[in-house]
Formats: sequence, C-alpha cells, structure tokens
Amino acid sequence: MLENFIAGSGALFGDPTTIAIFVFGVVGGMLFGAIPGVSMLTLAAILLPFTAELTAAQGVMLFAVIYCTGTYGGAITAILFNIPGAPENAPTAFDGYPMTQQGKSGKAVGAAVLCSAIGGVASALIMMAATEPLAKWAIRNIGPPEIFALVFFGLAVASSVGARTIWKGWMSVLLGLLIATIGQDPVGGINRYNFGYSDLAAGIAFVPAILGFFAVSEIFVQAEKKAGGKYTAPKVSMSFPTIVELWLHKVAVLRSILVGFFCGILPGIGATLAAFMGYGEAVRWSKNKEEFGKGKLEGVISSETANNAATGAAMIPLLALGLPGGALTAMMVAVFQMHDLEPGPLVFYNSPDLIWIVFAAMFYANLSILFIGLIETKTILNLLKIPFQFLAPLILLLATIGAYISRGLVLDVMVMFLAGIIGFLLRRTGFSIPGIVLGLILGKIGEQNFAQGMQMVHYDIGTYFSRPICALLIAAGSLTLIVGIYKAFAPASKTS
Amino acid sequence: MGRLNTPHLIEAAVWFAIVAIFFGYTFEFNQPIEIYKFGATGWPRVVVLLLLLATAGNLYYQYVHGSAVQPGRVGVAESDDSEADYSNRSMQIKMLAVLLTPFIFAWLLKPVGIYFGAPFFIAAVIWLFGERRWRSIWTTTLVIYFIFLIMFVVLLNAPLPQGNMSPFYDYSGWILKINTNIQNLW
Repeated sequence: MLENFIAGSGALFGDPTTIAIFVFGVVGGMLFGAIPGVSMLTLAAILLPFTAELTAAQGVMLFAVIYCTGTYGGAITAILFNIPGAPENAPTAFDGYPMTQQGKSGKAVGAAVLCSAIGGVASALIMMAATEPLAKWAIRNIGPPEIFALVFFGLAVASSVGARTIWKGWMSVLLGLLIATIGQDPVGGINRYNFGYSDLAAGIAFVPAILGFFAVSEIFVQAEKKAGGKYTAPKVSMSFPTIVELWLHKVAVLRSILVGFFCGILPGIGATLAAFMGYGEAVRWSKNKEEFGKGKLEGVISSETANNAATGAAMIPLLALGLPGGALTAMMVAVFQMHDLEPGPLVFYNSPDLIWIVFAAMFYANLSILFIGLIETKTILNLLKIPFQFLAPLILLLATIGAYISRGLVLDVMVMFLAGIIGFLLRRTGFSIPGIVLGLILGKIGEQNFAQGMQMVHYDIGTYFSRPICALLIAAGSLTLIVGIYKAFAPASKTS
Repeated sequence: MGRLNTPHLIEAAVWFAIVAIFFGYTFEFNQPIEIYKFGATGWPRVVVLLLLLATAGNLYYQYVHGSAVQPGRVGVAESDDSEADYSNRSMQIKMLAVLLTPFIFAWLLKPVGIYFGAPFFIAAVIWLFGERRWRSIWTTTLVIYFIFLIMFVVLLNAPLPQGNMSPFYDYSGWILKINTNIQNLW
C-alpha cells in the first residue's frame, strides 16, 4: 500500500498540470462549498464538459478533490447562514447556526474544519488500506434488501430530528419521498405524476430542490424577520475551539468516523445519510440530549466528521463496483465514461495509476482542509459582517445559476423558487427541511432497492428478514420510530 | 376542538388535500409491470397512506397539545408561526413581494435572459430587504453584477439563459461578444 501511495503521490506532484488541477480542485471545492447559494455540485456541473480535455486520472482526481473539500466547504454556510452548502451539511446547521447566533461561529467553524479533516483523512487511510477487501465484503453481504433497510433506518433517524413533533418529522420525510416519486418509476419506466408536463418525466432534479428548500427558504425567513423588524445580525467570533474542547469529543469523532465510513461504503447512500446518522447517533448516546439543536459543539463535530468520513468510503462502491453514492460521484462515473473507462473491479487492474493518484489526492485534499481551511475560515467569517440586504441578492442570483446550470432548464429555476416558498411555509410551521431533502434523495434509491429486494426473495418477507444486516437495520429503524411515537403519546396520557 | 386553532385546521386540510390529489392521480398511471408485482403505483400509494396516517397523528397531537414542541425533540428551529405579525397590511404586501419577485425573475428568464434581468432583480431584492439609499442600491447591484460576470461568464464560461426576445437577446449577445474578445486576449 505504501509503495502505491508513494507512487500515486509522485504522479500527483510530479506533473505541474496535475498539481495545478489539484490546487484548483481544493480551492474551488472549498469556495463553492462555502459560498451560499452555490455548492460543489454547481462547480462540478460546470466543469464536467471540460474534463474531456484532461487525462482520465486528472479528471477523476479533480472531482474526488472537489468532493472532499466541497463537503467541508458546505459546513461554513450551514453554520453561518443556516444554508447548508450540500445536503450532507444539513445536520451541521442544527447546532452550528444556533452557535453563530450565540456568537460562537468561530468555534463551530473551527470544529468543522478540524473534524472534516480528521474524518476525511481517516477515511482516506482506510480506503487505501482496505478498498479491495471491503468491496468484496460489500459484494457478499450487501444487497438491495440491506440498502433498503439502511434507507429506512436513515429516514427514521431523519424523522427524529429537526421537526417539532415525530408526526411532523415523518410528514417531512414522506413529503420528500412523495416528491421523489415524480418522474419515471425505477422498475418499469412508467411516467408518474407528470401532471401533463413532459419536463416532469425526468423527475424533480435534486440540485434546484435542495437550493430552494435550504437557501431560498432561508432568505425568505430572513426577509420575514427584516419586514417584521425582528432581524438581528449574527455575531462574528474568531475564537476557535481549544484542544481540550476537541479532545473531550474524541468518542464522538471515532463514532462518527465508523458511522460515516459504513454509510459511505454502501452503494447509493453517500455522505448525506452518513451526516444524519452521525448526528443521530451522537444524540442517542448523549447524556444531555436536550442540549442538541441549541448550539452544542458535539452536533457540529458528529455530522462533519461523519460526512467527510463517507467521502473516502464512497469511492469504494464507485471504484470497485461502479456504483455512485451521490450526485457528485455520479458525475465521476460520467468522467470515467468520457475517457472510455468503466468504473468497476477491472479499473484496479487496468488503471492502477489512476486509482492511486485519486487516493493520494483525496488524502492530501483532506489534509489541506486543515491548513487552507483555517486560513480561509478567518476570511469567510467576515461574510457575516456584510449586511443581509446585500448578501441576499447575491445568494439568490447564485442559486438561480446553480439551479439552471445542471440541466439548462428554466423549469428548474421555477422549481427552486417554488421549493423555497414551500420550505419557508413548512419551516414556519415546524416541519423539517433536512427531512424533506433526505426523503427526496433517498426516495428513488429506497424504492429501487425495495423492488429489487422483493424480486430477489420472491416476495417472501421471511427470507427478507432472515438476512442479519437487513433485519438489524429494520429493527433499529422500527425502534427509532416506535420510541418517537411513544414519546408523542406519553405526555398525552399525563395531560389526560 | 381541544387545542386546535384555525391554522392547525388549514394545515391539516392542505395535507389531506395533498394526500387526496396524489392518491387520486395514481389511477392515471395504474399500469401493471410484468416483472414487479406491486406495479408503478405500489410505492407511491404506500407513501400516500403513511402520509395520511402521519397527518392524522399530527392533527391528534395538535388537538391535545396545540403547537407545543414535543419534549425531547432535537434540532428544532427556535422560531415558530406566531413570531411574525401578519395582521399588518404592509407586512403582508412586503412578504408577498419578497415571495413573488424571484418567481417573476425566473418566469422572465426565458424571454429576457439572465444578463439583462439580473441587475434589475438584484436591485429589487436589495430594495425589498429594506435598503432605501439609492446610491447604495446601485453600487451594490453593479458590484454583484460584476462578480457574476467575472465568475460565471469570463472564468467559467457557464451556459446561461440569454433570452429569446429582442432587444434582450441582443444585449446578451453583446455581453458574450465582449467575453469572447476577453477570452481571445489569452
């Protein structure tokens, strides 16, 4: 492994063009992740056609680097503006934004920088050491039933955070699932819910919906506060967390690395679910559950460690099985295809140079989060000093571009603003926007894997549950659901 | 009525309407799939059914507890629906304008294009957010417009909507021609 890593590092830093592409990816990912309104996906969508001009290794490496640094960058906007740069940063906002409101933005961002770097580096190391055995394990033990079970567990966790009641949590998740059914069904390709519009046959694109629910709805919330004279500018703080503060959360970091890596390794799941699960597990194991969501450092640490830990792991199903774990890894498949390559087991034998350049680049990209991130953070925190009336149009304009660029459809911009209005109304009434987004992202994956799983077991539920990982995840999800419902009814019996 | 109030009932009515519409529409694509027993409607109908149950549960919760946050909930936003005062007519108009302006901008993207429409949109949003100093509005508008052009047109060459009506289309063409000249410099 070490020899391969050194060879990969040599190839990465031995060519000035590759170095320039690496630096561009690191800085671009961080910037696009950290600018509210656009995300790493916007940058990736813009860059996709240009990768045809690069070598396969450079193209895939660029996207892998953007994935690592962009996942971190999205935490900045989640913490400072309550606008997650990507869905995987949504749980970061639960505690990060309250910390900003309390004047602890520096601590939250500092923790995000450090934990993203730790999660990412740990994940990159495990990925380098164990991609092949882990891929083999995943092939043997993980099938559609397990993926569906994990989706169910993830949705159960998402329903338990971010909404005022368990009911609103589930309504949020189910609304996301319902939106995900728009478009062609994943088994028979039959058009569903197109309401007479042919553009809807392709379904609701993730990027506009995510931008609308997160960025645009937050602008509307702030506009409401401004109009009502209740707007208070967030306080800027440059004080980073101390070593002692971070050391106290070592268990949370380790747990999130494991959770993040496990979620990332599963095809189709990716960093978003990892962040939710990392956050959910932090809450589950905490003695002070009631402090979460009110500005607890552990909330930021758990979700940011988990989502970056998933970035390295997401490369395993992508490279070893050819299965992308999210929107950005799906674009990486396109990069492979542009260069007449198919990600899958043969890549390890046919293009080992490519694999090790990508692995080395991801390792260094995660390390650079620590160094560049700390410098960048001091600059980014100054964004809070810009009056919101000047920041809002910039965010809306960037979001418009971000929504339009992926498919070149004005309809997507309309969808984004509609999602913004819906998100604004739902937030006011205590629904969970991250829950909707997770439902939207996992809906198609869940349905597809449920259908495949059912076909695999010939519609025999007993066989379905005889698979241990599947049974365990379904049981964990059901328990989360039952506990939530019990808690909803428990005070009712007291009141009565 | 327990602790139910009018907003709760409106909320429930909206969600039940979503359930009814989405369930009703499943009959439009109720086709069997040979290789899959549950067909194209199986999954959406289960989701709709669960949404119906959750909506009913939510209504019951509100009947008993009103708008109170369920104890032990995590990551719940501090603000709630009672925070803003919509009895004031000016507030209603302001918020309606805030919600509709981006929509109008999006609707105009096809005929007018982003290059022509963006400065007006930026200025409108700044004004809607309460800035009344015209100098400040125009200066910020120009700065944001300049950032947009440099970042997405000059540096990234992003394909953006140019409009399909004259003279807006001509204006977009003029901007893109300037960009081509700049690109030719290096």
